[in-house]
Amino acid sequence: MNNRFPKSYRTIAISLAAIGILALALSGTFTALSRWITTPLIAAQTWISNQYRGVDSFLSASQDIQKIRQQNTELQAENARMQAQIVELQQQLVELKILSALLEFARANPEHQYIGASVIGRDPSPFLRYIIINRGSDDGLRRGMPVVTQNGLAGRVVQVTANGARVSLITDPVTRINVRVEPSRSAAVLTGSITGDITLEQIPQDADVQPGNLILTSGLGGNYPPNIIVGQVTSVRTRENALFQSASVQPVTDFSDLAIVLVITNFEPVDLSPLIPESGSP
Amino acid sequence: MSVILSIPTLGLIAALQSAVVSRLPLNHGTADLMLVLLVAIALQKRVNTAWGWSIVGGLLTDFISGLPFGIFTLSYLGTTALALALRKRIWRFSFLMQLLVVLSGTIISHSLSYLVIFLQGTSLDLRTVLQTVTMPSLVLNFMLSLPIFILTRDILEQFAPLEYNA
Repeated sequence: MNNRFPKSYRTIAISLAAIGILALALSGTFTALSRWITTPLIAAQTWISNQYRGVDSFLSASQDIQKIRQQNTELQAENARMQAQIVELQQQLVELKILSALLEFARANPEHQYIGASVIGRDPSPFLRYIIINRGSDDGLRRGMPVVTQNGLAGRVVQVTANGARVSLITDPVTRINVRVEPSRSAAVLTGSITGDITLEQIPQDADVQPGNLILTSGLGGNYPPNIIVGQVTSVRTRENALFQSASVQPVTDFSDLAIVLVITNFEPVDLSPLIPESGSP
Repeated sequence: MSVILSIPTLGLIAALQSAVVSRLPLNHGTADLMLVLLVAIALQKRVNTAWGWSIVGGLLTDFISGLPFGIFTLSYLGTTALALALRKRIWRFSFLMQLLVVLSGTIISHSLSYLVIFLQGTSLDLRTVLQTVTMPSLVLNFMLSLPIFILTRDILEQFAPLEYNA
């Protein structure tokens, strides 16, 4: 056969056949054939590749799991640290806001000198509205000094130790504070109660007191300095034959959430007891 | 159980009472952690220092409170007396006994407080006091009673077995 066709013919025939096949392929004749061949081939390749990956990950998993577990533990510890830091920062932010408001109050009332104190406890008896603060006689605190918050009056110091003091809040049932109602400038007496509500008593019948009126300390009696805001009238009760009117008051200070207070240190309460005649004396 | 041990233990309880428990009111009542603990201790058999613990607890609370000195000591002594009297007369104790003494102790404590405030010249509406202070305080004291009773019993079994089991 080799002798019947010279070598050059064979080369030409193979070239023509190759060109022909190429032309058929370019014209799309082989597409169906190619799909018929490649589909099972790709499926087989995919299956083999997946098996290989499975085996490969199984072989390398032990090392990866160790690493992942270690990383997970580290991340959990880091997360706990960050959470604690967030709580601490939030607490600091709240304190900063309170201190900023207190500073603003002190700037707005420059006639007084103040000492800041943290509220560290409350009276164990539910009958009393007392708080315990972390400043005492070592810090210059004395009995009778008024205590305020950034919003207004909170109470006054009733007992002092070296490093702490007890403050009677204006909501205490025993509290009696001389106040005046603005804008009518009527005098009245503010009283606390067992429920923590505060009430205005002894408002003269002819006084024009309306809901929304402001209550400020009057300074009468010498227990509190004048013009410290106490609260706002919410409702007025007037009876036909009563000598006085009374009114409910919404205090400006939120007593359920007291954290930091200011003690006014340059106020000397006046002791009026020697001027009050004893019962039975002429 | 030594009375000396009562000073740090009850000191911690007094601090907890003032710093935490008194800040968690139910209506206007608060739990009396010291009272509940002293009752739990007094009701444990063979604890023969209940009076000492009661005096220390009362004095510590009196130091913290603004009520006239001695009110809490008197209340706790009265409650301990009741607990010890019941302990002598009743052979077997249950948790119900703790509740009964805590109920009595709360009433003693609140009655004395009410009386003292009344004598100081402030009249409180009795109905309001019962509804907003005493009843909620009782509920809180009852809620604290079970965990404190069990805790006290277990601690005594663990740390004072000779006295407790003798």
